Amino acid sequence: MAEAIHVEGLSKIFNGTVRAVDDISFFVTQGEAFGFLGPNGAGKTTTVSLLTAQLAPTAGRAVVDGIDVFRDPAEIKRRIGLVFQESTADSDLTGRENLELAAALFGVPRGEVRQRVDSLLERMQIGDAADRLARTYSGGMRRRLELGVGIIHSPRVLFLDEPTLGLDPQGRAGFWRYVQELRKEHGMTVFVTTHYLDEVDLICDRLAIIDHGKIVATGTSSELKDRLGGDVVTIRTERSDPAMEEALRAVPGVLSVSSQDGAYRIKAPRGEQLIPALVTACGQAGVALTSVSLKRPSLDEVFLEFTGHEYREDGMTPTDRAVRVSQVSQAFGRTRR
Amino acid sequence: MIRELTALTKRELLRVARNPQAIATSLLLPILYLVLFGQAFNLNNIGSLSPVPIPNQVFLELYRGAPSYFSYFSAGMTGFVAVTATLFIGANVIFDRLFGTLKRTAESPAGPTAIFGARLLAGIVQPIGLAFLVLGLSLLLGYIGLNGLHITASVGVIGAAEIVGAIVILSMMFASLFIAIGFSLEQPQTYFAVVNAINLPVLLTSAALYPWGILPDWLKNVASYNPITLAVNVLREVLFAGASSYYPYGAGVYLLGLFGWAVAMFICATLLARRALSPH
Repeated sequence: MAEAIHVEGLSKIFNGTVRAVDDISFFVTQGEAFGFLGPNGAGKTTTVSLLTAQLAPTAGRAVVDGIDVFRDPAEIKRRIGLVFQESTADSDLTGRENLELAAALFGVPRGEVRQRVDSLLERMQIGDAADRLARTYSGGMRRRLELGVGIIHSPRVLFLDEPTLGLDPQGRAGFWRYVQELRKEHGMTVFVTTHYLDEVDLICDRLAIIDHGKIVATGTSSELKDRLGGDVVTIRTERSDPAMEEALRAVPGVLSVSSQDGAYRIKAPRGEQLIPALVTACGQAGVALTSVSLKRPSLDEVFLEFTGHEYREDGMTPTDRAVRVSQVSQAFGRTRR
Repeated sequence: MIRELTALTKRELLRVARNPQAIATSLLLPILYLVLFGQAFNLNNIGSLSPVPIPNQVFLELYRGAPSYFSYFSAGMTGFVAVTATLFIGANVIFDRLFGTLKRTAESPAGPTAIFGARLLAGIVQPIGLAFLVLGLSLLLGYIGLNGLHITASVGVIGAAEIVGAIVILSMMFASLFIAIGFSLEQPQTYFAVVNAINLPVLLTSAALYPWGILPDWLKNVASYNPITLAVNVLREVLFAGASSYYPYGAGVYLLGLFGWAVAMFICATLLARRALSPH
C-alpha cells in the first residue's frame, strides 16, 4: 500500500544542544491510524511540528502525501489537518465563525462552506451551540470544535497532537468515535501522538514508541506485546509438586515455567490456546487445580521493556486507568488485547 | 491571499466589536485630556496676569498660527491618540500566541502577509476612529462655551484628504511598529516595557502637546523629524489660516515625510512577522 508519511533520518536540535528528535525513520501507509507514543518531552510534539511544516529540521527528510515537507511547506499546509494539544479556537468567535474562518483560510470552495460548516456542527454535536462564543464551550465541545476546524478542508492526512489531553473518559471516547467515523468514510490517514496507552491500543493500527527523541520500537500493538514473550498463565494448585513443573514445561508452546507456593507461572505466546493442554497436563500429573488465570502483556509493559523505565507520566492511579480503559472500551465495543 | 486577508480582518474586527469595555476605556483618555487638561492649560489666560496687554502675534508665534492653545493642542491630541490607541495591537499578537489562536492561523495556508496585513487593517480602525472623535469633540466643546477647536482656514477637499491621510498613515506606521514588536516578543510584560520605552520618548520629543514657540532649539530640531510632529504639522497647516507662514514646508512635504516613515516601518514589520511565522 502507498505511503502517506515517509520519514528518513529526521532530527531536530534546539539551541545546538537539545536533541528533541534524534535521527528517526518510519512510515505510515495510506488510511492507517498510526500512534506515536511517549512520555512528556519524548519528542512527540516536535515530530508533529516537523511533519506539519511548523518547524524546520536540523537533518533528515519527510514526505507527507507525496510532498516533501521542507521543500513545499505551503502545499503541505493545504493537504493536512492538524488538531493541536492546546485549544486554538478563537474564544471571541462563535463555533460557526471559527469553522467559517478555517474554511476561508484552508481554501474550501465558497459555495461549499455553508454546507460543510453546518454538517460539521451537527456531526461534532455542537449544532445547538453553533452561534455561541467558543469561550462558553465545555472542554469536550472545544475539543470537538478543534477537530472540526482540523478537518474542514477534508485533509488526506490528519495529525492529532495529544488531542484528548484533559478530557474526561466520556469526552475522550466520543472524540475517538468521530475520528474512527472519519477514517471509515474518507479513508483518512491519522497520525496521533498520545501518552494514553489505552487509546493507542484501541485506535491505532500500528505504533511507534519514542523516548528521548529516538524511536525505540515500531509495530502493531500485538507484535510489540508478543516481543515480550507472550502471555502469562498462572495455575494455582492445592500443593506444590516437582513433577507438576516438569509436566507443564513439556506442553508444546510453553516458553518457561516458574513456581512459588503452589502457583505456577507459565509464559507462552498464545496463552488462551494453551490452557486446555495445561489443565490436561495437571490432571495427568495427579494435581488438583484451585484456579487458572491468564494475563496478557499491556502496553505499559511494552513501554517498560523497550525504554527501561515505567510509563506513569499521566499521573493516573491504577484504578483511574482501569475505569478509563473500561469506558473507552465500551465506547468502541471492542475487547482490549 | 485576498480571501484569507478578508477573513482574518473580519475576525479581528469582530473581536474588537465584541469587547465594548476596551472601546469605552480607550475613549476615556482623549476625553479627559480635552475636558480637563485642555481646559485648564489655557496659556492665553497668561494675558490676564500681565500688567501690559500681550500682542496676539506672540500667541500666534507660540502656537504656529493656531488661534489658541486649545486649538493647537487639539490637533496635537489627534496625533497623540492615533498613536496611543495602537499600543495594544501588538499585545494582542502576544496574547494570541499564548492562547494558541496565532498557532492555528500560522499553521493554515494563509501566508505571513495576510496574517500581518489583517492585523494592520483591523488595528488601525480604532485609532482612526478615536482621532476623528477627538477632532469632533474639540469642535463641539467650542460650541458649548468651553475652550474648543476653532478652524480658521477654509479646509476644502484637498485639505480634508490631507488630514485623513496624515491620520491614516500615522496610525498605520505605529500599528506596524507595535505589531512587529508583538511578533518579536513572547511575554506581555516585556512587550509593555518595550512599548513604553518607545512610546513616551516618541511622544515627548514631538510637537503634539508643547507650544512650538517655547521649545529649545535642540528639541525643535529633534521634533521636526518626529513622525507625530509631521502628522500634526499637516493638521495645523490645513486647519489654521496663515499657519503656512510658520512652517518651513507645505503640508504635502510633511505628508511625504510621514509616508517615508510608514513605508520603512511597514517593511521592517513585514520582515519581522515573516520571520516569526516561518518554520525555524
